[in-house]
Amino acid sequence: MSFNSFKRALWAYHINTGSCNGCDIEILATLTPRYDVERFGIVLVGSPRHADVLLVTGPVARQMAPRVKRVYEQVPDPKMVIVVGSCGIEGGVFYESYNLVGPVDQIIPVDVYIPGCPPRPEAIIEGVAKAWVKLEQAEKQGVT
Amino acid sequence: MISLPFWNPIICIIAFVILIAITCLFRSRGQKKYKEGTAQTDIFLSGEEPPAVEQRHIKAHNIYWGFFQTLKRYYDPTVRAHTGIINDYIIWFIALAALTAVILLIASLT
Repeated sequence: MSFNSFKRALWAYHINTGSCNGCDIEILATLTPRYDVERFGIVLVGSPRHADVLLVTGPVARQMAPRVKRVYEQVPDPKMVIVVGSCGIEGGVFYESYNLVGPVDQIIPVDVYIPGCPPRPEAIIEGVAKAWVKLEQAEKQGVT
Repeated sequence: MISLPFWNPIICIIAFVILIAITCLFRSRGQKKYKEGTAQTDIFLSGEEPPAVEQRHIKAHNIYWGFFQTLKRYYDPTVRAHTGIINDYIIWFIALAALTAVILLIASLT
């Protein structure tokens, strides 16, 4: 896995669409000294306008759907979307709940799926690395 | 004796030019691929729809908040009186004209 064209840090924005916070805590764990993803140049940012990657957790509650769409539209191109956790992939324990309009790929296009309830920090890091490679390819192909 | 701080306009101009150059350098390193006229250039409000441009300003009315607050007892009834309905204003006009006429009448009798 080599990074050639994307010669800068990868900035990620995290959005919770109604998760139980399990996946969010695991995302935070990747930033702790034990995993320390910032040494790879992966940084969590506070605005989608600064992000290359969108980290989405949760099964998308009805109220969150337009917000998720808007946040996705605010990420500059080329962008990658990573769904973290089973809820965002297929509903998880909230499957078929009256209040859901997800999973995430029903609302916005998804590039990488990281299953688990919640997934381990190692899995999240691997998923982000895979998104990074896809982003590299998109940059090379000049996807806008 | 009070010593004045060093002042030289040439140095100020050079410092200003250097700061502008550094600012331009930072700006040139930024993201250039934003698509104008899309959500990518909208302000970020946690996914909420941003308000219209004219709604984003602090209204000039806010400057007078303390003034209006202090004179609330005077302003509240007068603001209520300004309904914007022409009929109400005509009624006020007729009522005040009648009151003035009565006062003038009484004054002329005494």
